[in-house]
Amino acid sequence: MLTPARVLLVEDTPTQAEIAKAMLRDFGHEIRHAENGTDGLALALEWQPDAILVDLLLPDFSGIELMRRLKAARVNAACIVLTAHGSVNIAVEAMREGATDFLLKPYAAARLRVTLDNALEKRALRQALDTARTALGRESFGGFIGASPAMQAVYRTLESVAGSKATVFITGESGTGKEVAAETLHQASPRRGRPFIVLNCAAIPRDLLESEIFGHVKGAFTGATENRPGAARAADGGTLFLDEIGEMPLEMQAKLLRFVQSGTVTPVGGTRAEAVDLRLVCATNRDILAEVQAGRFREDLYYRLYVVPVVLPPLRARGEDVLLIARHLLQHFARDEGKRFKQFDAAAEAAIRAHPWPGNVRQLQNVLRNAVVLHEGEVITRAMLPDLLLQGAPVMPGPPPPAPAQAASATAAIEPLAISEKRLILAALEHTGQDVPRAAALLDVNPSTIYRKLTTWKKEA
Amino acid sequence: MSALDPEVANQLAEDLPPDVFRTIISTFEQDLTRLAQDLARAAQAGDQDGYERAAHSLAGAAAAVGAVGLEREARIAMDHRQPESAATVLPRLLTEAKAALQALRALTY
Repeated sequence: MLTPARVLLVEDTPTQAEIAKAMLRDFGHEIRHAENGTDGLALALEWQPDAILVDLLLPDFSGIELMRRLKAARVNAACIVLTAHGSVNIAVEAMREGATDFLLKPYAAARLRVTLDNALEKRALRQALDTARTALGRESFGGFIGASPAMQAVYRTLESVAGSKATVFITGESGTGKEVAAETLHQASPRRGRPFIVLNCAAIPRDLLESEIFGHVKGAFTGATENRPGAARAADGGTLFLDEIGEMPLEMQAKLLRFVQSGTVTPVGGTRAEAVDLRLVCATNRDILAEVQAGRFREDLYYRLYVVPVVLPPLRARGEDVLLIARHLLQHFARDEGKRFKQFDAAAEAAIRAHPWPGNVRQLQNVLRNAVVLHEGEVITRAMLPDLLLQGAPVMPGPPPPAPAQAASATAAIEPLAISEKRLILAALEHTGQDVPRAAALLDVNPSTIYRKLTTWKKEA
Repeated sequence: MSALDPEVANQLAEDLPPDVFRTIISTFEQDLTRLAQDLARAAQAGDQDGYERAAHSLAGAAAAVGAVGLEREARIAMDHRQPESAATVLPRLLTEAKAALQALRALTY
């Protein structure tokens, strides 16, 4: 026998029902029984059985009608029709309606077992095939777009660990979608209705990091004018995503380790530990094992956090995904900017495909947003793309640039505000490798502000 | 002629544990009592649909335990084209029912 299954019996004659139930119990299956079609349908919808044994003649409507209603309600069970000698033709009709098999009454236990096992096996194979087809052919998953084998592996991992509380450690180059992966995981998990809290460890001054994660009580330090819950307590019941965890100072790593071990948080300045129930997801673009070896990341914390690793592939390793994403982004940006762009021409697609995209999807976003903002028409041509793509010159990510404020201060002088503004924006763009959103973040403005300025300057030129 | 199809009835007795088999016979007996009453009531009221429905259920119950004689009579009753009246069929059907029950009980000893 296969593994125990849920079997629904729809049979109105008590003698026949008792015999079938006794046999099914002996096979080790879980059984429910309905005496008419209406109850059978309701039970099938509520219980979602693996197999349904349907008598053809029921008091309220026929077994065939029940099969039609089950099909319409998308009940995914193997249906076996129970029929007397005289109604074999009707049983054949039932097969056309989706029945897996039929069983002539009266039947011996062995016959019922073989028929049921075959039907369940057939259903399991069909489901496995559907799953495999889905897994192989997905063009998107959660917030991701991409059908490449590398991304199918990512989707499978995220899907399989979504239901667990295990800590997930996401690695990948900048712009590969680490936060997208964390949010996709949260949305695919039973915690999806609860908070998803993101904390970028690199963006928070080291003195404030503990307070940001664990909260603080009023008066804990200068400026702590009221109690603050912190990210961990805000994420209670949900998911806490610690981005750029490789940047976390060592003293803070010790506190995070204590939190991971105890499952409790003590706010800065507080004395009472409070239990929180959250799923921890961490990410870094650094080689975390090298960080451990270099003594910059605690080994004990590494082993606590590196439970389920998810490695996001760079865009250059994702084959045709770059075009799938580019087409999606083009539609999105065109809608967002009120433009008419619908597609790329062949040369533009070839340039996009050929470029190594060292900044990954984020760089692709910037390039396409730039092209949409600066041009008009329905087709993005190769000439509308930045020189970088036309030359095909790969620019690999380098060390983090110095803060643009420092560069600006070096050239600071009394001059018209518009010139200072242009100088600062161009400096920020230069320091971020023409990454508009990063430059905008550093300047604390909206990226569209920079795009608008670029358009204006181009027209002026 | 035997009231039971030995192949079906014996197979059932073999397939099921003795206590379960006894429960089945008990359920069958309850079915017989209820359906025979339904048949008689429907015949008296001239309710052809009710008569055929009860006869159909009786045929199904009989077939399940291999009560071939009873199944045959029940199928005659459920066929509205056959010329025999309920007054003729019902006594024969009850005789077959008693014989089937007796034969089934004998299998439990």
